[in-house]
Amino acid sequence: MAASTTSQVYIDVIEDVMVKVRDEFTNNGGPGEEVLRELQAIWESKMIQAGAVLGPIERSSGANKPTPGGPITPVHDLNVPYEGTEEYETPTAEILFPPTPLQTPIQTPLPGTGDTPTYNIPTGPSDYPSSGNDTAGGNADVKGGRPGTYMQPPSPWINQRPPLDVNVAYVEGREEADRGASNQPMTQDFFTMPGGKRKRNDLPPQYDAGGYIPQQDGSGDAASGNFEIEVCGGGISINSQHTSFKGKMPADLERLASRIPQLDGPIPYEDDVLSTPNIYNYGGVYSEDYNIANTPAPPEVPASTPALVAQNEVANEDDDDEPPLNENDDDDMDDLDQGDDQNTHHLVLAQFDKVTRTKSRWKCTLKDGIMHINNKDILFNKATGEFDF
Amino acid sequence: MATFELYRRSTIGMCLTETLDEMVQNGTLSPELAIQVLVQFDKSMTEALETQVKSKVSIKGHLHTYRFCDNVWTFILQDALFKNEDSQENVGRVKIVACDSKLLSQ
Repeated sequence: MAASTTSQVYIDVIEDVMVKVRDEFTNNGGPGEEVLRELQAIWESKMIQAGAVLGPIERSSGANKPTPGGPITPVHDLNVPYEGTEEYETPTAEILFPPTPLQTPIQTPLPGTGDTPTYNIPTGPSDYPSSGNDTAGGNADVKGGRPGTYMQPPSPWINQRPPLDVNVAYVEGREEADRGASNQPMTQDFFTMPGGKRKRNDLPPQYDAGGYIPQQDGSGDAASGNFEIEVCGGGISINSQHTSFKGKMPADLERLASRIPQLDGPIPYEDDVLSTPNIYNYGGVYSEDYNIANTPAPPEVPASTPALVAQNEVANEDDDDEPPLNENDDDDMDDLDQGDDQNTHHLVLAQFDKVTRTKSRWKCTLKDGIMHINNKDILFNKATGEFDF
Repeated sequence: MATFELYRRSTIGMCLTETLDEMVQNGTLSPELAIQVLVQFDKSMTEALETQVKSKVSIKGHLHTYRFCDNVWTFILQDALFKNEDSQENVGRVKIVACDSKLLSQ
């Protein structure tokens, strides 16, 4: 009963929206009636999939159905490229072009001396940032073209990155890095680097240098390791493309290396701080008091060292605590949100007329509500609630 | 007419939002127009609930969490029992989000 009436109300709502929005679509250079029908078709198909609308009921959709079929598939395509399609494509292409490795070794030496000729390498790095920041779709396109020419091993890494990037962008880089997943850390490095810059002025320069320059050098290093394996395959023609890819590979390896410092970051900082207390004085936003204390200290370096250490430790603790705190806060929030979402599949959306409480007994009157309970959508005009707290 | 965006979180609202997201990403729809559609949905859904729905429901349960923020009540119930004319549903945990109905009439 409820389901059928709910379904009917939903259909009416869809129809009502379509009617009232039609002018916007057809007038003033709007996308046109066609797009509106596509919208309705996709919307209804989603509703049917969700079980909120009973399939056969579509009255107006009959004419629309042909169109919806077309639009729906493209939609799926858009989603797919993000993860699945690209991954599959990339590996195959890469498999086809194992020879690239040979080229890498050659290029590896180049990066150190002549960067311009090795333009391919720069492209590689450029791709990374784009992949990290841009939508997966953009990345997919780029990768889809190039990866095919590359080796198998690189492709998986690259493929994995884009999805990771999306999450990583805001997420805590360090924790993931700790997990040890090679792919994740790499992506994280990119993002973490900026974060590191914000947090500590000292670090950024190192990372920057490491991020870009090392990538090229790293390629050489990585290449050395890969050279032996790569030598087996010989495809010079694709060199330019390969180089770019190799550049990426090394970059990844280097990034991995760079990750370690990041993770260790706090400790290295401590060392740095110990050696050069002044840094902390300037950098320490949190501990202005410490700065005052430190200022006198620097001249006395040897004698003050212990005192500085203690102060530094405190300062370090602050620094260490704060970044983790922020990260943890985010995590906690996410966890809570997820927990809420996961634990409350059942949801009631309504308007309240009145909410009262007597001791631990709550009473409320709701109206115009939509309930999603036990996978059923139920609408109500009025609802009364009695809760014990 | 004032409307709540509340109902966008319902099944029908989520389906519409997903659809609009896809079409905007496709480039077939401008974000502005997508928002207009959502606003129209807010109106149509509210109106439909007022005019077409007559059923009455009673809710009982243990109130695990209550929150009143920005004129929105949020209740998290445990072991809740929903009853309407023709059925009743038992739910281990349910969230109720309710906006102030007086805001609509203003």
